[in-house]
Amino acid sequence: MTDPIPSASQADGERSAVRRGPRRPFPRFTRAGNAIAPGADPISTPSTELPQNPGMPMPLHSQDTELIALLDRVARQDALAFKQLYDQCASKLYGLAIRVVDNRAWAEDVLQDAFLTIWRTAADYRNALSPPMAWMGLIVRSRGLDFLRRRASQRTHLTQEMDDTMSESLPADTPSPMDAAQASEQAWALHQCLQKLASNQREVVSLAYVRDLSHGELAQQLRLPLGTIKTWIRRGMEQLRTCMARFG
Amino acid sequence: MDLTRNPELLDRLATSYALGTLRAGARRRFESLARQHPSVRAAALVWQTRMGGLNELQMQHTPDPVVWTRIDNLVRAEQQEQSLRTAREHAMAHRPDAAPAWWSSLGWWRGASVAGAFATVLAVAAGWHFHVQLRTELAQSQAQLQAIPQEAYVAVLQDDKSKASMLVTFDPRNKRLTLQRVGNYQESGDRSLQLWAIPASGAPRSLGVLDHDRLLKLTAGEADIRDVPTLAISLEPKGGVPGEGGPTGPVVFSGTLIQKM
Repeated sequence: MTDPIPSASQADGERSAVRRGPRRPFPRFTRAGNAIAPGADPISTPSTELPQNPGMPMPLHSQDTELIALLDRVARQDALAFKQLYDQCASKLYGLAIRVVDNRAWAEDVLQDAFLTIWRTAADYRNALSPPMAWMGLIVRSRGLDFLRRRASQRTHLTQEMDDTMSESLPADTPSPMDAAQASEQAWALHQCLQKLASNQREVVSLAYVRDLSHGELAQQLRLPLGTIKTWIRRGMEQLRTCMARFG
Repeated sequence: MDLTRNPELLDRLATSYALGTLRAGARRRFESLARQHPSVRAAALVWQTRMGGLNELQMQHTPDPVVWTRIDNLVRAEQQEQSLRTAREHAMAHRPDAAPAWWSSLGWWRGASVAGAFATVLAVAAGWHFHVQLRTELAQSQAQLQAIPQEAYVAVLQDDKSKASMLVTFDPRNKRLTLQRVGNYQESGDRSLQLWAIPASGAPRSLGVLDHDRLLKLTAGEADIRDVPTLAISLEPKGGVPGEGGPTGPVVFSGTLIQKM
C-alpha cells in the first residue's frame, strides 16, 4: 500500500551516512526523461492503473482526532498540549522545512518560527476545514518560503555565491523519497497518484510546489533545458489530474 | 476564453495555479477569473488542497532538542509579557497620574519583551557560534544550574540593535550575580553602567554599578531577582545614581530574565 517506512533509528543512520558526503537528493536524468535509479524504486514506471486499494489506513483518523484535540488545547494556551503537539509533529514538519530551505540550521529556524505561529494562531485552526497536519504543513512551508525570500533580499550582493551554494545542494542523484506516514487522507491519495509518476516527473512537481519555483527557476537549479522541465511537469501534472479525479 | 464552459481547461489551469507554475500575467488573469466565478474559485481551492498534500509527504527528520528549548523559552517570554501587560494595564488604571518615565511606557515594555525573546535566541546563537569563552561560561553555568533546578537565572542583555552585549547569570545558592561583557561596548571614563531589576510593578531597583572589567561579580539575594521579568543597564554618571532614585540616563542594554527549569 505504501512504501516501507524505515524506523526512526534507521532513518537517522542513513541520514548521517548520506550527510557526510555531498548531498545528492535527485535522480541522474537522461534527456529522454528516464531516471536511472539504481536503488530500484519499484513504482517508478508510469502507470494509469487505479490504486488497488484506495481506502486508507485506519490509524490516520484517530491521529487526526488526537491532533485536533491538541490544537484545541493549544488555542487555550495549554503549554503541556503544545509540547505534546511538538513531540508528535516536529519530525514530520522538520522534514518539510529541510525540503523547503535545503539547510538543516535554517530549517531549525523555520521550524521554530512555525511552531510559534502555531502557538499564536491555533485558535484559527477551527475555521480551517483542513486536516491538522495539512494546516501545520502550510504554515511550515510558508514560513520556509518567507525565510528564503528574506534571505534573498538581505543578500542580493551575494547572489552569485548563493546560486553556487544552491546548485551544489540541489538535485543531483537519488530521488528524494516520499513518506506517507502521518499524512492526512487527502495527502495519502496524492501519494498514491504520485507513486504512478516517473520519478523525475514526481521530483520536479514536488520541488516546484514545495519551493515555489517557476519552470525557469527549476531549469536553472536542476541545470536542465527549460523544455525538458516543462515537458516533465506537463506530463506529470496531466497524469496526476487524471489519477486524482478518481479519488474525487 | 470562457473558462467556465471548458472544464478541462479550467482543471488544467487550476493545477498549474496550485502548483505555482502559472506565473505573471496568466496567473493574474486566472486570479481575477476566480474572483468573478465561483466555479473557477472552487477548482483552484480543490487543487490547492490537493497539492498541499505534498507538504505532508516529505521524509521525517528529528530536529535537535535545542529547537524545543528555544521555542519553549520564547513561549514563556511571551506568556510573561502578557501577564506583565495585564499587570501594567491594571496598575495604570489605578494610577492615571503616573510619572511618564521610560519604565512606565507600555511600548517600551513590549519592546523589551520582544527584545527579551530575541535575547533568548541570541543566547543560544551566541553560545554556539560566537564566543568560545562565552560557551565555556554558559556550559559551566548550565552545569551549575542543572545541579540546582528551579533556582537559577540567566539573561542576555542587548542594545537597541539587538546585539548581545551582556550575559547575566544568577546563582541563588551563592547569592552571586555574574555579568560578562560580550560585545565591544565601552563607556567613557566619566560614566558608569548601572544594572537595574525592573519588577513587574513598582520602580526599578539598582542591583549594582559596573566597573570597566569584562567580568563582574555582584552580590544579590534571590528576593532581588525572583519575580523580576526584566533587567536593564543604564548609562549614568560615574559611580552610578546616588541615593535610592531610579535610573537617570538612557537604557543601553536590556533583556528578559529567564529562570532555568
